[in-house]
Amino acid sequence: MSEERSSEHGKNQLSFKDRPIKILLAKPGIDGHDRGILVLAKAFRDAGMEVIYAGLLPTPEQVVETAINEDVDVVALSLLNGAHMTVFKKVADLMKERGVNDIAIVGGGTIPDADKPKLEKLGISGNYGPGTPISVIIDHVTKRAMEARKLKESGQ
Amino acid sequence: MLDKIIEGIYRGDHRSISRAISIVENEGDSENTRNLIRQIYQRTGNAHIVGITGPPGIGKSTMIGNICALLSERGKKVSVVAIDASSPFTGGSLLGNRIRMQESLTKYGVYMRSLANRGINGGLSRSIWDTVKILDAAGSDFIIVETVGAGQADLDVINLADTVIVVLGPGLGDEIQAIKAGIMEIGHVFVINKMDRQGAYIAMKDIEETLAMMPRGEWKPPVVGINSLTREGYDTLIESICKHRSFCETNREARLRKFRTELQMHIDDELRRKFQKDINGVLKDEGRLEEYLLRRIDPYSAAEEIVEEIA
Ligand code: B12
Ligand SMILES: Nc1nc2c(ncn2[C@@H]2O[C@H](COP(=O)(O)OP(=O)(O)O)[C@@H](O)[C@H]2O)c(=O)[nH]1
Ligand SMILES: [Mg+2]
Repeated sequence: MSEERSSEHGKNQLSFKDRPIKILLAKPGIDGHDRGILVLAKAFRDAGMEVIYAGLLPTPEQVVETAINEDVDVVALSLLNGAHMTVFKKVADLMKERGVNDIAIVGGGTIPDADKPKLEKLGISGNYGPGTPISVIIDHVTKRAMEARKLKESGQ
Repeated sequence: MLDKIIEGIYRGDHRSISRAISIVENEGDSENTRNLIRQIYQRTGNAHIVGITGPPGIGKSTMIGNICALLSERGKKVSVVAIDASSPFTGGSLLGNRIRMQESLTKYGVYMRSLANRGINGGLSRSIWDTVKILDAAGSDFIIVETVGAGQADLDVINLADTVIVVLGPGLGDEIQAIKAGIMEIGHVFVINKMDRQGAYIAMKDIEETLAMMPRGEWKPPVVGINSLTREGYDTLIESICKHRSFCETNREARLRKFRTELQMHIDDELRRKFQKDINGVLKDEGRLEEYLLRRIDPYSAAEEIVEEIA
């Protein structure tokens, strides 16, 4: 939003100069550990992002359809149940199938170090576990979101 | 590239619809937005726009999920836009409406978009007007718009929607009196949700009595009790929406009023755009501000003078 329009009637003048990052948080797969993802949802909102939480138990298909319909910049996947190699991959595959290359995918939860390079290869980055400072996660998400934006702009 | 998006919109392709909404949401009234709306405008006007308002937690999103299912089952194409408030301090927002309707969305392939209001008061977002046109051009029979749900201040939906549904329920306590003060005039259909809860019948009676005391137009707003967990009362609700839709089709005045409001909004913007540069110049002119500080000119007179000068 340009400076010129910030004096518009009925418009709060404090912020809204930039376009906020839009992010979808999802736990695809049978995993009830939702504390981490709820912490992240609030942290992302407080960092100025527009956050959608897909709730417990969305299927990978639902995650991809939602990401497309909401035109998010980033999909953040969280699993603590060890199913990330199959489920995260499924999401990445479906994205590719639908021809979507301009939405970034980041992961996290309990992910053994050995799996991280494999996920990276699928385009799923971050893969942060317990104890990661929130600021590190926000910086990473922001970086990936900006990359996705660039791709969107060149594709549009 | 815009051509490809537009062609996709006409096909009802979700990805194209999505991209188009992002353009109007993020670029404001850029050249891109204008071209898009110019090109699709001819193809709009078929959708019936249903606005849903009412206090937070009353069950608007849950109800929309049910309405989506029932209209889809009747062969109608439904789209949804739901608006949440942005934090005025960080600009961030938790867009929490989707989760309540996800089941219906998936089951019937309904397009749904969450928008943050990005600081706009009145219960809507700035881009909603153009968003609705995109969904209209995509062949929607019904477009359902959920407002922020800020109660009394949440009234702009009357300018956007053909049918406004006001959702209330038991347990609002004294709050209901405050909400009623602003909202009774804008509803075409009143819904009492959570009929399974204690106090629902009292709430229903309260609304019926308030309506009975208000001056009557040609349309008499029904009060419908529903239970969104069991879908009790939904047949009556859907019937009320359809009845009001038929009523609207003969109501030229209402459609003109909507267009007038939208036009006014755009004219305001064009005027501002046209003169903003000059205004900014004046605002930076310290000599002029000095006059004001020295109490040689009051702000009313200063503004009159300046507008005379630049207009
Ligand atoms: C609390 C807890 C529970 C609670 C969950 C409550 C809830 N609603 O969340 C309860 C008691 C219900 C529970 C149950 C179970 N649990 Co449990 N649980 C834990 C525990 C102790 C802490 C998890 C937690 O909440 N941490 C706090 C939050 C804030 O941190 P977090 O989730 O790790 O998230 C942070 C980071 O990981 C990262 N992050 C997370 N997601 C993402 C996503 C992205 C995109 C990014 C960038 C970052 C990121 O950022 C977050 C914020 O810092 C962990 C052990 C541990 N120390 O991790 C075991 C653990 C996850 N549980 C485990 C298991 C096995 C279970 C059960 C199957 C049975 C059991 N043995 O207890 C059940 C299954 C429940 C179910 N239905 O899925 C195992 C999983 C083993 C595995 N992966 O192979 C663990 C690792 C314990 C262990 N060492 O065995 N559990
Ligand atoms: N008991 C009962 N709860 C309901 C009913 N409709 C919705 N709810 C619950 O009310 C809460 C808020 O619903 P939501 O749709 O998010 O409300 P909104 O904020 O108005 O959109 C949720 O927990 C719903 O499950 C109903 O008819 N009866
Ligand atoms: Mg809601």
